[in-house]
Amino acid sequence: MSYKCSRCKRDVELDEYGGVRCPYCGHRVLLKERARTVKEVDVE
Amino acid sequence: MELRVIDKTDEELRMEVAGEDHTFMNVLKGALLETEGVAAATYDVNPEQSGGQTDPILSVKTEGGLDPLDAVAEASRRVQDMTADFYDAFEAAL
Amino acid sequence: MTNEFDVEIIERDDRSALFVVRGLTPAFANGIRRAMVADVPTFSIDTVRFVENSSVMFDEMIGLRLGLVPLTTPLDDFEVGETVTLALDVEGPATAYSGDIETSVPEVVPADENIPIIELKENQRLEFEADAVLESGKVHAKQQGGVAVGYRHLQRIEVVGDAPEFDEQEPNILRGVIETEDGELVVTDEFDNDLTQRYPGKEVEVVDVPDTFVFDVETDGSFTVDELVLRAIESIDARAAELEEKVSV
Repeated sequence: MSYKCSRCKRDVELDEYGGVRCPYCGHRVLLKERARTVKEVDVE
Repeated sequence: MELRVIDKTDEELRMEVAGEDHTFMNVLKGALLETEGVAAATYDVNPEQSGGQTDPILSVKTEGGLDPLDAVAEASRRVQDMTADFYDAFEAAL
Repeated sequence: MTNEFDVEIIERDDRSALFVVRGLTPAFANGIRRAMVADVPTFSIDTVRFVENSSVMFDEMIGLRLGLVPLTTPLDDFEVGETVTLALDVEGPATAYSGDIETSVPEVVPADENIPIIELKENQRLEFEADAVLESGKVHAKQQGGVAVGYRHLQRIEVVGDAPEFDEQEPNILRGVIETEDGELVVTDEFDNDLTQRYPGKEVEVVDVPDTFVFDVETDGSFTVDELVLRAIESIDARAAELEEKVSV
């Protein structure tokens, strides 16, 4: 899963074993970014 | 529009008119009641929430030997005359 | 069997009209009204593919707003169910308006150009591609072409005598169109919708004129009022023709 570190602003890849922590600066607050794919929405 | 005849005798007809609603059924009922030889005409629709029959059921009763299906045909003819006349009258007024 | 219809148009411009029809049954009047609202199809955005949406609103909320933008609809050129592709790309700081939407077909464009979709701040951007589909108002309210369609009986005013001399006259409010005793049709705006302004000091009686209706029709700009009315009549006509054919087999 890809996140963005809220302190150093670097892209972070997390796996299921590493815990929630930025591998570059150790910060524990990560942000989930919007996917870069095109999203299709039905108007209802 | 899909027609399913439920009951039909020489002077009575019950028929489901699938895909229609009050817009057309009430106009048709009005035209049927103005048709010569029609003793009674009505339709019934239940709201979707009732869980039952939602397509309208048209009931026609005739007298004087008129076939109810012919009565429906004649009433549809009458509706078409009415729409044609109204179309022309509206266009003429523009 | 003759149907003597008499249509008189009182007020008319592209998007709204007021007209009086004589010789109409209540069932037929209501059939036409309902057909105008629910059976004449218009184009409306139905699916949106968001390439980028960094605005403050969710994709779904913007989608909903887009669905409500009226699009001009040339009914002769399209069948129900056909789609037209549209696109928009606006970068903040700016407001994305309906007029910024570009279309693949020049005849299908937003009917109004000044509908705000969303205000974008610095570094926000909205980019999408959308499909508009031709459907009837039965499917979804966004597909309705007639947005304010109504009718009422034509009211005829009869002067029955003089009002009691020393009484304070109560206002007598009517709306739409009235018919005077000499058969003249008068828009109620002309006398401030108040009968006592037109007949001061008179006792009047208001009666409904049978089989005569005043229609007030407004469209969302997808097409003209004339087109809406004529298409509604055609849709009833088509169904009657279909029924006659099916019953006669």
